[in-house]
Amino acid sequence: MAEPLSAEKSTVVAENDFAEIVRRHQAMVFSIALHFLADPAAAEELAQDVFLQLHANLGRLKSGDHIKFWLRKVTSHRCIDCRRRRSLPQVSLDEAPESAAPTRTEDPMLSHRLRQLVASLPEKPRLIVILRYQEDMNAEEIAEVLAMPIATVKSHLQRSLAMLREKVTRAIGEVTI
Amino acid sequence: MNFDKDTNRMEEALKNAFRRREAPEGFADRVLSRVTERSSDKPMVLRHQSWLRLFSQPLVRWAAATGVCAALVAGGIYYRNVQREHAEGEAAKQQLVLALRIAGSKLQLAKSKVQQVNADHIPADQTESQEEKE
Repeated sequence: MAEPLSAEKSTVVAENDFAEIVRRHQAMVFSIALHFLADPAAAEELAQDVFLQLHANLGRLKSGDHIKFWLRKVTSHRCIDCRRRRSLPQVSLDEAPESAAPTRTEDPMLSHRLRQLVASLPEKPRLIVILRYQEDMNAEEIAEVLAMPIATVKSHLQRSLAMLREKVTRAIGEVTI
Repeated sequence: MNFDKDTNRMEEALKNAFRRREAPEGFADRVLSRVTERSSDKPMVLRHQSWLRLFSQPLVRWAAATGVCAALVAGGIYYRNVQREHAEGEAAKQQLVLALRIAGSKLQLAKSKVQQVNADHIPADQTESQEEKE
């Protein structure tokens, strides 16, 4: 006969579940924050706060997909809030410093350059690029997470890509990747 | 390869640049210890919340609002009464001061008249007594 779980035992089970959820999603949450803030310490603090908030709201989330959606949404909004609170000077893409025009580059350098350029985008377009390329999300999913119209997400994405392409082309010209 | 001609290459480069990073060592443990810390603080928070939860019921909210309104009205009436009594007291004080001034001036007048009458009578008496001596 199955013995009913005591309150203490069920709490332990819940805590183990929560620990498992943290381990499963920590890279996703931390990476979104890191790519957005470009500050590892701030990204870790933000990611911890997101998981604390998750712990308080865990009872309301119905499934693994719901938890993932919730984490992406809360992390995105917290990133924007954090950025606004810190009110760091925001550099537009045109003002972003260009590299010393190397003609050829390797992957690490190109990646670094792309991250620099994306970091110079305004908040929402930057988050859209991060969610699109880090999380491989489509425009509909991004629109749902950021509570924005799909058309706006698509237009931000197109404009950001066009600017990135132009900047990278101008900076490194013909590139072998 | 030119980026203008090959969007897929650009997208691939972006995926490489923005691939997920591992969370710092011990991240999950730090989150769990913060959760435990919070849980130990919870009874106080819960007690506080249980008081606040009372006000989530509409009837209690209405009763509280009505109570506050009644207290404000009663306070206003009491304040007006105190003000009125104070004004009445001030008026009575002014009247009393005026009455005392009038009485004082009348007394002064009476005193001066008495002194005048005394002054008129004393010289005649003194004359009579001198004549009697002679």
